[in-house]
Order: sequence, then C-alpha cells, then structure tokens
Amino acid sequence: MMKAYLQLVKAQLLLFARNKNSFIWSLLLPVFMMIALGTLLGGDNEQFALEVSIIDRDNSVSSKELVQALKKAPGVTTVDQSEKNALASLKKNELQMVIVVPRGFGTAMASKTEKAVVTVYQDQGNLSTSKIGTAIVAGTIDEINKKIVNFQPRIDIKEKGISTHQLKYMDFLVPGILALLIMSNNLNGVAAQIASWRERSILRRMQGTPLSSGTFIAGQMTARILINVVQAFVVILIAHFIFGVNVYGSWGTLLFFVLLGTLTFMSIGFIVASLAKTPESASPIAGLISFPMMFIGGIFFPVRQLPDFLQIVVQAIPIGHLTTALRGVMNNGATFATLQVPLWILLTWFIVSFTVAALTFRWDVK
Amino acid sequence: MIQVQNLTKRYGNQTVVDHISFEVREGEIFGMLGPNGAGKTTTMEMMEGLRDSDEGKIKIAGVDAKKQKKKLKQQIGMQLQSTSLFDYLTVRESIELYASFYPHSQTVEELLVAFDLVEKEKTWVKHLSGGQRQRLAIAIAVVHDPKVIFLDEPTTGLDPAARRSLWDIVLKLREEGRTIFLSTHYMEEAEILCDRIAIMDHGKILALDTPRELIRQLATTSRVEFPLIDRAYDEKFSTLAGVKKVVRLEKNLIQLHTDQLAETLQDLIPLANSYQFPLDGISTRTATLEDVFLEHTGKRLSQ
Ligand SMILES: Nc1ncnc2c1ncn2[C@@H]1O[C@H](COP(=O)(O)OP(=O)(O)OP(=O)(O)O)[C@@H](O)[C@H]1O
Ligand SMILES: [Mg+2]
Repeated sequence: MMKAYLQLVKAQLLLFARNKNSFIWSLLLPVFMMIALGTLLGGDNEQFALEVSIIDRDNSVSSKELVQALKKAPGVTTVDQSEKNALASLKKNELQMVIVVPRGFGTAMASKTEKAVVTVYQDQGNLSTSKIGTAIVAGTIDEINKKIVNFQPRIDIKEKGISTHQLKYMDFLVPGILALLIMSNNLNGVAAQIASWRERSILRRMQGTPLSSGTFIAGQMTARILINVVQAFVVILIAHFIFGVNVYGSWGTLLFFVLLGTLTFMSIGFIVASLAKTPESASPIAGLISFPMMFIGGIFFPVRQLPDFLQIVVQAIPIGHLTTALRGVMNNGATFATLQVPLWILLTWFIVSFTVAALTFRWDVK
Repeated sequence: MIQVQNLTKRYGNQTVVDHISFEVREGEIFGMLGPNGAGKTTTMEMMEGLRDSDEGKIKIAGVDAKKQKKKLKQQIGMQLQSTSLFDYLTVRESIELYASFYPHSQTVEELLVAFDLVEKEKTWVKHLSGGQRQRLAIAIAVVHDPKVIFLDEPTTGLDPAARRSLWDIVLKLREEGRTIFLSTHYMEEAEILCDRIAIMDHGKILALDTPRELIRQLATTSRVEFPLIDRAYDEKFSTLAGVKKVVRLEKNLIQLHTDQLAETLQDLIPLANSYQFPLDGISTRTATLEDVFLEHTGKRLSQ
C-alpha cells in the first residue's frame, strides 16, 4: 500500500530528526573521529621530508656533481632504486619526487651553446609538496649555475606531472569512517530501534492493523537509506573542506555502495532484533557484532596489516569489502569493473541477510 | 457480534485462559472485570488476532478470528494496555500514520474534534497527559470506523476527571452503534459503562450478566460491617435475624450478609450490649459489584 509506505517513511524521518541525541551523535561522531584522528595521525605527514629518487642516466662528472648537490639539499632524503621502481613508487605515493638527469647532460654542460636539462617528476595534484620540491631543485641548480663562469644559466628544469594524487592518511580514513557510519547507523541503530518498538508494543499495535510487514520494512529501509545518504554526503563535504579529501571516482558508484552497505547492515540489524531473546539484549548483541568489525574492517588501518589467521575472517565479512569499495571509489576512482570482489560479496551478504530478515521478522515479543 | 467458545491459552504448564465461552451482542458494551493476572489482556489479544490461542473458536462480525486475520483487522479497532504510540510524533501525525494503514478512514479533523484533541494537534505524544494519550489511543482505534472496538483497561492510572471524560467517549462510541469490549479492574467503571459484565479470575469466567442481575443474584442484598477483634462471637452472629453469612475481612473487620437489614440490626444491638463490644465504625450498605466479585472469587478487587 503506497499510502502506508509513504507515511511510514515520513514518520521515520520525523522520528529521526526529532530524536536529537541520535541525530546529533550519528553526525558528530564521524566528524569528531575524523578531526581527532586526522590531527593526531595525519598531521605528521605534512612535516617536510621529501623522499626523492635521483636517476642519473648520464653518469658524467657534471651529472655526478649535480646528484651530490641535490642529495645535500635541505629536507631531501634520497632513495636509491631503478628508474622503473622509482616511477612506480611515485605513483603509489611512497615517493614525492623523481629527478632524472638525462643522457647527454655532461656534454651539454660542456658545450657553449646547448643547455642542459633536468627532468622532475612529481604529483602536481599536491600543491604543497610539488611547490616545495620544485623550489628545492631550482635552488640547488641555481647554485651550480652560479658557479659556472659567465653566470650563464646552463641548466633548465623540465617539470613532468604524474597523474597520481597525493594520498594522505585522511584520504584513507574518510572512506573507512563512512563504512563505520553505515555499519553502526544500521546494524546497531535498527537492532536497538526495532527491539525497543517491540518492547513498547508499538509493533504489536501495528500488527493489529492491515499493515503488512513487507510495507513496514520497505518504509524503514527507504527512510534509513535517505538518512544515510545525506549523512555520508555531509561527512564527505566536511572531509573535503577541512582535510582536502577528494572523491576521485564516480559519485554514482559511491552512492551505489553506500546503498548496498546500508541495506546489508540494516538487514543484519533486523535479524539481530528478531533473534534477540529479550528486547534489552538486542543492542548489546549488535554491539558485540559491530565492535570487532571496527578493528578488522580496515577502517582505521589497512586490512593487510592484520595477522594471517584473521585474513580469512576479514575476507568473509561485509565490512572490509564495504571499506575497500568506498576507498577504491574515493581514492583511486575505481569502477564496478575493478570492484568485482567487494561487489559480489556485498550483494551476496545483502540477499542472504535480507531473506533471513524477512523470514524471521515478527511484530511481537516471543 | 462476537462468539467465543472454549478459548484456551497456556504458557508452559500454566493455563492463563481456561476454556472460556461467551457471546457479545451487537451494540453493547461488554466488560471483563478481573484482578491483575486474571487473563483479561491475553483473552483480548487472542480475539484481536495478536496472540495464537491453543484451543477454542473466535468469531467476530462473522469473521473467523483465527483464520481470517487480514479480514478481521479491517473490522476491529483496538487500544492496547501499554501505550504503544511513537513518542516523537504529534497527535495529528500519529492519526495520519494509522489512517494510512486502512483503505478507508475517518478524517483527522473529525477525530480531533470527537476526541477533544484539537488544541493538542501539534503536540508530541511524549508531552501529552495520561488522559490525552488514552483519548488519542482510542481515536486511533476508531480511525477506520470499525464495528467492534477493544479497549484494554482504558482508564487505568487516570485521575477521576480524566476517567469521567473517557467514559463519555466510550458511551458516545456505543451511541454510534459500535460494539465495545473493554477490560477493567474498576467496579465503578464496570457498573456505569457496561451493559454486561464477565467476572474473570485465574483464566476462568466466574459469572456473566448485567451488573444489576449480578447483584440481584447475590444470596443477600445488604451488608453490615464493623470492626471486631475478638472472634468469640462469630458463631452468635449467624443466628441473628436475616443473616445468611458471616465473613471475616482483613483488618479484623466482620461482615454480615443479610436479606433483612432492619431485623438484623435490631438483633445486633442487644447482643452488643450484653457482651459489651462497641459497634464503633459500623456501616451498612446494599450489595455492589464488589460484593459480587468477593462472592465469586473470595477476594476483593480494589485495594
Ligand atoms: N507472554 C507470556 N508468557 C508467559 N506468561 C504470560 C505471558 N503473557 C501473560 N502471561 C501470564 O498470563 C497471566 C494473565 O496475564 P494477562 O496479561 O492476560 O492478565 P490481565 O488480566 O490482563 O492482568 P492486568 O490486569 O494486570 O492487565 C499472567 O499470570 C501472566 O503472567
Ligand atoms: Mg491486562
């Protein structure tokens, strides 16, 4: 029944907006977490330490001289590795800059007419490091230029942007916090709310009307999806404006995974509410399920840092896949094609838990 | 309107509703009177299709309440013993929500007026007084204009004024031609509101009739009560003119059941004189439903 469905959605939205505690907390908590963790852990990344790899293709006297000078430049730590590895780690953000001294550098320096060139690869998406990086390289080269007779500038810098973006801890953290928000809002939120409605006979009263449980559940899901999408959006906006976190992937894909996560955890919440022996035990049970998930879901630190025996568990439960998917879309612009694994595992979780939720749903206290 | 046969409910090895049968006539207010734990709520919720019965048949407005639940729910309206409304919805929103569950419903305005809630239209349920909340619960019970209404202890916990105003509402619902089944543990309420009363205790119906008839069926029509600690004279009291029964109530109160009040008193006074016990605090009254209840269950209802 359409009328009942719309009224139920409206009622749930009103209840949510009017229950000030839950409304404020469900928004403040992720923001607070972001700010706390962002300043505690993320702040240090900004302390200036450029990690640079210098590739000397020329191996001449003057090129070696330049490399030595660059190595001594303030704030620069050099990592010795092959050119291929260096460019790869630059893409992965393990390096801030790769400087290539091309073949023929020495000859160019020696000749009167030719100008020697140095190529600098760096992520130009990250303004702070790229500016400072350029400045340091330019400064060093300037010194060398000045030593050369006639004060004729002999070396040019050729800058090359790399199409990667600097990922900071915040970029990693925000999708994790979104996943956490979706999990706790829905799993814990639904379990607590349904259990309390059941305890206070609100559900039993509805059972006394022709309302079908399907309409009731559909109304709940719709309202909660709306709430979660708005909340996720607010968190992303705050993350963007305070911490400069960007969404590199498609908003549509992101929205899809927010919905899928919401539906999955809501279904699990319904199951918990139905299976709890007493209404009072529903919340603790939901907490017991979601608390460990906070740590093995890759929310605050990558899943690969977990011990091996946990890896199997992590792969089986939905939270890690939700985090992976959100992180993939936000950080790396991942698409459905590259997110097949989380997509199918989450879909399976949703279908199975939704079916179980629908089958076990009851209005009444047992 | 309602036919119930052999209705039974067990929880574990406890039979909380024990093979009860009764009928409710169209347009009457039928009261179920019983102390805490008598089985009133259980009985009503089985009739409302909210709990499954273990045995028995229930037919309401021609619908088999156990088999045709969907159809049943269109026909009946209910107010449950526990509040069961959303705290953070307003009066109007609550009515609109429940109205949306039915294909046809009365308008919100009609209900607000009929239940004296116009001024509270925008108030959250959380902030309503007990009486207002009960009025809202009953308004929601009739939102789809049902023929049969179940009210489970609608006035419990209300002050006398709120109780009176709720009685008016219930009487008005009967005037509109509805059949009302209500439970209560207030004698006065049962006596004033109900056309017929079933007295229930320990899952059984002990008596069922109109209040007047229930009282009339008592063996004696009057009661004489006075405090007396000494139990030595109890034998003598039963020989007084008209006395059919001598009952010891709590607090050393003695109660004489008599058909001939004047004669009993005439005999009692000389007796008191000769044995020198004071008749301080003596009272006489005609029998009430309270006495009917006492007679059937051996205990008082109100305390
Ligand atoms: N779900 C249940 N599980 C076990 N026992 C129950 C359950 N519901 C009711 N009972 C028992 O059934 C008996 C009758 O309960 P019921 O609620 O019908 O009484 P009542 O007459 O409505 O009492 P009150 O005046 O307090 O509302 C009580 O002893 C109660 O403990
Ligand atoms: Mg009851």
